Amino acid sequence: MTPLERRYRRLMRAYPRSYRSAYGEELLDILLGHTDPARTTPPLKEAAGLLVNGVRERAWQAARGPAWTDGLHLGVTALSAAHLATLLPYAAAVPGWLALSALTLALVVLGRARLALPLASLTAVKMGAIGTGAVFLDATLLPVEPGFLLDHSLYGYSGLLGAAAGPVLNVAGLGILAWRGGSLRRRSLWWAPAALLVAGADPAWMALTDAAPGPLLRVTAEAAVLAGAVWAGRLTGDLRWALAAALYLAATSAAFGEHLLHQSRQDLAYWGVLALLTLLTAVVPYGARTRAID
Amino acid sequence: MYFVLAALLDGPLHGHAIVGKVTELSRQRVRPSISTLYGILERLTAQGILAVDREEVVQGRNRRYFRITDSGKALAAAEAERMHHAAGLVRARPDLGTA
Repeated sequence: MTPLERRYRRLMRAYPRSYRSAYGEELLDILLGHTDPARTTPPLKEAAGLLVNGVRERAWQAARGPAWTDGLHLGVTALSAAHLATLLPYAAAVPGWLALSALTLALVVLGRARLALPLASLTAVKMGAIGTGAVFLDATLLPVEPGFLLDHSLYGYSGLLGAAAGPVLNVAGLGILAWRGGSLRRRSLWWAPAALLVAGADPAWMALTDAAPGPLLRVTAEAAVLAGAVWAGRLTGDLRWALAAALYLAATSAAFGEHLLHQSRQDLAYWGVLALLTLLTAVVPYGARTRAID
Repeated sequence: MYFVLAALLDGPLHGHAIVGKVTELSRQRVRPSISTLYGILERLTAQGILAVDREEVVQGRNRRYFRITDSGKALAAAEAERMHHAAGLVRARPDLGTA
């Protein structure tokens, strides 16, 4: 294998695996046929084209199948990952519930809504109990103190709404998916490291004015993912990303709204960005290009 | 992509040939990257404007031949008519020396 072919193959990883299996060799054949064999690196135009069109192909493949079911599944996956991220700094205090949250995310990612539903329901009730200081199943020592990353207790600044909104919406979404039956697609395993990345950034009390790395990382990740959703909705004219974004925004807004009167301008701006991007995911598919020739 | 449809009006072509024909028909003005051209071929095929005519294996690699469908031909004709009308708006003016 020449260095040129190796580099082309590396760039082609931007495409989904199924596409590469079906058409990768054909595409590579033409790329090599149209590139000066004396070159060791692909021309910039072809390199950029492979990256951009690979991501586009991923969006097109993601837009297959029933939009509302897949959008709901995507929203539930994001909520499950966000919940795991919230619990991670409290691993030492609530290891069982953290494990349950991780198992729920794994089942959601695998598309097993019926198996995930009872686990998510248990977690939702427990989070509500922690938020209100009640006892549920095990005797959890309150307040639940963090082991790392944070300096405030779990839901220490939240009431029932802030603690339970995300988990309850998660249960509602999973309930609909379980009731509907049928198979759900297996989602990317990258959701687990994504949860690790935003660990400890609880939307109920992000304290953006402190410019701590955790909340800033979460804000950046959320804005980047939602901007990607806007782009995918525009490209494919599909509303599944809007549904997922709306579910996520609803959970974040409930936690955020609990302290609405005490939010700083930065916090309000953060919520405004999330709301604007979510609105765009719902609007842009209607302006998607429908002409075949341009 | 108008030139892709125009390139296939004479019969099915594989990717290699489509790239060359598009460049030739557009007088070198349209030279999309290979991946962009393939993205266009995939979308037009998904929309029923193109179809895969046949597949051949050359040196161990699959090679698809694309052909234009009847709806693709109608689309190309409609686009040609639209551009003809648009060109006529300028060409009919004697003051531009194109009439």
